[in-house]
Amino acid sequence: MTPRELDLLQGTLDVLVLRALSWGPKHGYAITQDVAETMGVRLSAGTLYAVIARLEARGLIEPLESDDRRRPYRITMAGAEALAQQSERMSKVASVARERLSTRLGWAGA
Amino acid sequence: MRPPLARAALALYPPSWRARYGAEILALLDDSGGGLAAAASLAWHALPAWFYPPRHLHDRPARMRASLATALVSWSMLTGLGLVFAQLTQLQGLAPAALPQIRWAYAVFDVTLATSALIAGLGGLPLWLLMLRRAWREQRARDTVYLLLPVIAPVAYLVGLIVTTRLAGGASGVSPGWFGVITLAGFAAAATAAAGPGLALRRLQPRGPALRLAATAAGVSAGVMAVAAIAIVIAVTSLDLWARQFAGYHHATVSGIYLALVVATATVTTVSATRGTRAALARRSAP
Repeated sequence: MTPRELDLLQGTLDVLVLRALSWGPKHGYAITQDVAETMGVRLSAGTLYAVIARLEARGLIEPLESDDRRRPYRITMAGAEALAQQSERMSKVASVARERLSTRLGWAGA
Repeated sequence: MRPPLARAALALYPPSWRARYGAEILALLDDSGGGLAAAASLAWHALPAWFYPPRHLHDRPARMRASLATALVSWSMLTGLGLVFAQLTQLQGLAPAALPQIRWAYAVFDVTLATSALIAGLGGLPLWLLMLRRAWREQRARDTVYLLLPVIAPVAYLVGLIVTTRLAGGASGVSPGWFGVITLAGFAAAATAAAGPGLALRRLQPRGPALRLAATAAGVSAGVMAVAAIAIVIAVTSLDLWARQFAGYHHATVSGIYLALVVATATVTTVSATRGTRAALARRSAP
């Protein structure tokens, strides 16, 4: 795995933040709002900025100039690629899980 | 409103992290509200921020300068402690018990101390000359004095030592009280000599190959000095256990304090120098 790829298990939060930024630049509060609305998860400031620092260090997001303390971030090309790859992997995992549940338990899914 | 608890938790983060993200986090807390949970989460994430600082926040030259300044002072203190050890044993012409581990410890100490000093001197010389030239050209009198302290302080100490031993010394040398004074003055001189370049590093903020060479040399020198410290520990412990009549080693408390100081200074020297060397080597491999 290259440093720019996301770890499947530990990268879930990274994916949530990248996904929030894939709709356009957002600052910290807007990211937490987006994640809360779409996933029902409320990210704390400590958790969010640990993820932001990690993604910025990997070059997956970048800060934009701002006169305000609320500095927006945008996803980079590398970040978009990493998000696409990770989404594909997660989609495969979900697909396999649905298939097995369907076969063994007769669960049809939502 | 800035929740005071969350603001206190933010103070737990490394300075570079706070400088980069602190205002943004406070803005987020202003928008979303804080509280105990927010403060606890912030405090919890401060720990990995120290252990795994984000690479983009590294100011490598600043890290090298800070580590170099700390390592220089602690290395000087460790050298001083080593010289006290030598003064109390070898330089007095006393023969320790014929135990092989003590003989070997003395031999290792002599070689490693000389090697460490040589590496530190050779590695730091280009940076020292570079800073001295710049201070001289830019007529920075204070920095010039700081940089010359490694020469001025030992010379002043030696002059003081000669005068003291002539005035206060008898046929069998100076009294234990004067020996203590001379020793403490030696440590003060070593600290002054080491602090000078450290202050100059902070004020002149040099960068480039000379700084990387000095930081790398400090790491190697500290590694060698750690071996000297181990030799001291082995020798003093052995003297304490098997040759207690020799050179005052029947005072186990004094030996214990001395060894604790040796271990503490060796640890600070090694850790600081390692951090500086890592920063120097990381810069080389950076894209």
